[in-house]
Amino acid sequence: MNFEFRFDIVWNNFPLLLEGIQTTIVLSLLTMALGTIIGLFVAIIRLRVRRAYAVPLIIYVEVFRGTPGLIQIVWIYYCLPIVTGLQLDAITSLVIAMALNVGSYLSEVFRAGIQGVDKGHIEAAAALGFKPGQITRRVVVPQAAYRMIPAIGNVFVSAIKLSSLCSVLGMSELMYQGQIIIANFFRPIEVFTVVAVIYLIMAYSTSLFMMYLEWKLAWVKRDNKSFWQSFKNISRSAFSLKPQGDI
Amino acid sequence: MSSNAAVKITDLHKSFGELEVLKGIDMSVAAGEVICILGASGSGKSTLLRCINQLTVQESGEIYIHGDAIGASKKVNQATLAKQRSRIGYVFQQFNLWPHRTALGNVADALMVVKKIPKKEAGKIALDRLTEVGLADWQDEYPSTLSGGQQQRVAIARMLAMEPEVMLFDEPTSALDPERVGEVIDVMRALAAKGHTMIIATHELNFARDTADRVIFIDQGVIVEQGVAKEFFESPKSERLRSFLKRMSG
Repeated sequence: MNFEFRFDIVWNNFPLLLEGIQTTIVLSLLTMALGTIIGLFVAIIRLRVRRAYAVPLIIYVEVFRGTPGLIQIVWIYYCLPIVTGLQLDAITSLVIAMALNVGSYLSEVFRAGIQGVDKGHIEAAAALGFKPGQITRRVVVPQAAYRMIPAIGNVFVSAIKLSSLCSVLGMSELMYQGQIIIANFFRPIEVFTVVAVIYLIMAYSTSLFMMYLEWKLAWVKRDNKSFWQSFKNISRSAFSLKPQGDI
Repeated sequence: MSSNAAVKITDLHKSFGELEVLKGIDMSVAAGEVICILGASGSGKSTLLRCINQLTVQESGEIYIHGDAIGASKKVNQATLAKQRSRIGYVFQQFNLWPHRTALGNVADALMVVKKIPKKEAGKIALDRLTEVGLADWQDEYPSTLSGGQQQRVAIARMLAMEPEVMLFDEPTSALDPERVGEVIDVMRALAAKGHTMIIATHELNFARDTADRVIFIDQGVIVEQGVAKEFFESPKSERLRSFLKRMSG
C-alpha cells in the first residue's frame, strides 16, 4: 500500500475545526447543565410520589434511554413542530433533545445514589431531631454526591460524543466541520483521526475534572495526599491486583 | 405511676401487615429509672423502642414524655415531630454514625443543626461528651477507622450531647465483637449511675441484673412479666420467662 497521509490538509484548515470545538463545548456544557437539572427533578419527584403518579416520568426515562439519540434529535427538530406547531431554531431543539437524553440517564444515577444512602443514617438524624430538609442537606446529599460522581462522569462523557450527532441538522460543531473539510479535500482518514483525538481530549478532560471532584468530596483524604498523588495511586492500583492502603 | 412519669405508654398496638408485633403495651417509667427490656428476637422490643420516638408509627395507643403526647398519631407536622424527637435519645444496634463526618462532627452536628449552637461552642460540648465516653483522642477519626465498640461510644456521645430527657438503647451491644461489649456496657453503667432515664433493649442478662431498676420481659408483643431486677431473675413467675432465662443462660 502506498497510501500517503496528508495531515497538512487538516492543519491548514484547523481554524474550521476550532470553530467546531467551540460549538461542541457550548452544546455539551448546556446539555450537561440542563440534563442535570432535569435528572435531579425527575429523580426527586420519582422518590417522593406514589408509583402511579410517577408513571409519566418512568415512560420518559425509558423512552429516552431506549431509543437512539440520533432519532431523538431528528424527531424533536422535525416532528415536534408538526405535532405542536412550535417551531424552534436548530440549537434550541438540539439542546432540548440532548438534555432530555442526558437527563434520563442522570435521573437514574441520582435516584440510585439517593436510595443508596443507608436508611440507618437517615433514622439517626431523624432521632436526633433533624427536620427532613436538614436530613437531605446534611446526611443524604454529602454521601450521595460523592458516590454518584463516577457515574455522572460517564454520562457527561457520553454527552460530549452525543453532540456529534448534531451534525445531521447542520449544526457547525466539531463533527460537522470535519465533514466539511472531508467534502472539500476527500481526506476522511486524516480528518476523522484528528477529530477523534480532539473528542478524546475533551472527554478525558471531563474525566479528570470528575476525578478531581471525587477527590475533593472524599471525606477521608488518605494521609492528606494531594490530588495528583492520589491520582497516581488510582492509576497504579488499576494495574495491580495488590490492594493499596488499608482495607 | 403519676402523670409526671418520664415515659408513659398506654395500650400500644403495632402490626406489620398481617403480623401483629405489639398487642397492647402499657408501661410507665419514672424519671431517673433504668429499665431493661428482655425478650427473644422478634418479640417486639425494638418496635416498642422505635414507637417511642416515632421511627415506627403505632396503629393505636398513646405515648407521653413527661406528660406531652408524642407522635404522628396526633397528625403532628414534621417540624413538631423533629422537636419532640430531640427530647428522646436513641442508640441504634448498628451505631448509624454518619461516615462523612468525623467522630467530633458526628457529635457536634445535631447541636449545630437542631439546637442552633454556634460551631465553636458545639465543638467544645462535643469534645466534652467524647471525653465522657473515653474517646477524646479519636475526635478527628472517621467512623470507618473506629472499632465497633468505639463507634457505639461515639453514637452514645452523640445522643448525650443533645441532653435528652429519655435515652433509648436498641440492643446496643448486639452488633459488637464479644471483647468489645464491655467498653459499651461500662459507659451505660456510668450513665445509669448519673441518674439518667434509660430504656434498654438488651440480651445482656448480667447488665440487666446489676444495673436495671426494673426489668420487663416481652414475648409475642405483650409484657409477660416485670419486676425489680433481683426478684425478676431469682424468682420468675411465668413459665415463659423461666424458659427464656434458661435458654439465655444455657
